[in-house]
Order: sequence, then C-alpha cells, then structure tokens
Amino acid sequence: MIEETIRQEIEQRYESCLVTVPREKRVIVTLPKDSLFSLIAFMKEQGFQHLSFITCVDWLEESEFELLYHLATYQDGIHAIVKTRIDRTNPTYLSIVPLFEHAQTYEREIHEMFGVEFVGNNRLTPFLLTNWQEIPPMRKDFDTKEYSERTFEHE
Amino acid sequence: MDRADIKKALKDPHKWGEKYSLWVTYFCTGCGIIEIPPVITSRWDAERFGVIPMATPRQANLFLITGYVSVKTLGYIVTTYDQMPDPKYAVAFGSCPIDGGLYYTSYNTINHLDRYIPIDGWIAGCMPRPEAIFIAVTKLWKMIDGEMVDGYKRYKENIEYYRKNQERVLGKEFIESIPGSVAVTA
Repeated sequence: MIEETIRQEIEQRYESCLVTVPREKRVIVTLPKDSLFSLIAFMKEQGFQHLSFITCVDWLEESEFELLYHLATYQDGIHAIVKTRIDRTNPTYLSIVPLFEHAQTYEREIHEMFGVEFVGNNRLTPFLLTNWQEIPPMRKDFDTKEYSERTFEHE
Repeated sequence: MDRADIKKALKDPHKWGEKYSLWVTYFCTGCGIIEIPPVITSRWDAERFGVIPMATPRQANLFLITGYVSVKTLGYIVTTYDQMPDPKYAVAFGSCPIDGGLYYTSYNTINHLDRYIPIDGWIAGCMPRPEAIFIAVTKLWKMIDGEMVDGYKRYKENIEYYRKNQERVLGKEFIESIPGSVAVTA
C-alpha cells in the first residue's frame, strides 16, 4: 500500500511527526512548527506537487492557531493534510512561497482573516475587506453580531 | 394599447415614454441571478413590458439589485447608481437588501440598502418568483403615473445624509474618489 510507504518514509526522517492513515488515499501528518518547511519540501520531492489550499483554525481555549496545508499527488491521487500549531498571541510563521508560489494568495487571506504574519511573503497587503479597523474577523473572539449592529444599524 | 390609453399618452407623453421603456441594469452579485435569465428570455419575456436588459448603466433607468449586498459590492452599487441618468428607479429584489435577511449578523454584509441609495420599490422573499419582477414593474407604472417615484429627487435633496452613511461603511477614500464629494470626518 502506497500510503504505508509514505508514512514510514516520513516517520523515519522526522521523528517528532505523527502520521496517520485514516482511510484509503488520505494521509494526515501532525508535527511541531519548526520542521514544517523542510517536511513540505521533502514531500514535494516525493511527488506531492500540488498545494490545494492552506486553512487556519482558531483554538481559542488553547490559545493556538492551527495551520493546515493540503497537498496532493498527481500520480496516485493521495491527499495529505499537514497540520501544525502556532502561538496565538504572537502569530508569526514562515511562508512557504519559496516552495509553492501560489501559496502567496492563501497566506494573504489567512493574514487578513486571522492576523497571522508570514515571514517571507512580501504581499501581505489588504485583500478582501473594505475599510477594516477591527481585529481580524475570523478570530473566535470577534463578535460579528455586535459589529454588525454597531456598523450597519445606525441611523 | 387600447383607445383610452392613447388619450392619456398624448396628455403626458414623457410619462408614457418612461413607463414603457424601462431599461434595466441588473446587479446580480449576490444570489438572484438564476431568476433573471428566464425573465429576460422566452419563458417570461420581459420585453412585453418594455423591460430590456441594458449593457451599461449610463443608458438604463431601472436598477434592479438582487440578493445580499456585501460591503465591497455596495461601493459598486453607489458608483452605478451615480452614473445612471435621471429619471432613475431602484428596485431591491429579495429580503437581504431590506434588513440583512439571512446575513443579518455578518460582518461583511450591509443590513439596510435604503440608507446608502434611495430605493423606490422592494420585492420581499427569499427568493421571489420571477413573476414578482412584473408585479413590481406594473406597480412602478402606477407610481410613475401618480408621480410617486421620487427616489432620484430624494437622493439629490438628502445627498449629505447618503454620503455620510456611505462614508461610514466604505471609508473616506471612497467618498473622495467621487468627483465633487468631500469627506465629512477628518
């Protein structure tokens, strides 16, 4: 099974990784934040040439942001999810633009919606929001109802 | 047109012309785009009512806004409305432009469209049937006959109120980009 070989290869090289294969053609890699860049570079060499998207999850109680990188292969159609957690109070992380150029747009969106700074991405300019002066809107502690009433319910 | 209408048309020819040649700018950035193609094509055939989709707002006099209005599209709605020549009528289609509808609590969707541009008619529903557009058009005929459609006049009279609300949501840069407008806040 090809997923098992991928799992063994990753676990041999990165000891701190936790790799699970929940079902066919699906690999989930959880790892500490310092080795993510080299792991994605390694996986790109192994055939994961396609970065589908990057998402971010706000874990408010643990005070952490979880970044998820979705990678896929063109040969076998395997979908790999690489997860890592970063500090929420000072959200700065390394950009993967040197590996995948189109990651610039995804990182730009996460920067705007969650406020994560990506070092190495030189295009973190305002993107989707208009005239925004609050904390980033996708954070869990942003009260969207209160903001809506304050901004749009005026006379 | 029957004979009784000829007399009426000759009495007020400009009203007659306005009524039966409503050229529409469809603003379908939210939902509601699905209702428009059957309306303008053979199923309901809006041309029976003189309603023709127009390519540019500068040649249109009916402005149909369908679905929710996000903050970003509100800027384009205001620009489009400013470009249209008088007399112009704006009709909001669907419940979201009325009070926010499903997106009432959204940080990125405005709740009351009539605070930013004047609206002459509302069509409630989520989504209304395409027939509702024709009900609105026939109501608009009656309102034109009775000179009750004064949205573009209200816009000119209360331009400061509308510009103030637009600035509150869209920011100072947007207001300053409109020729002849000055931002209120420092």
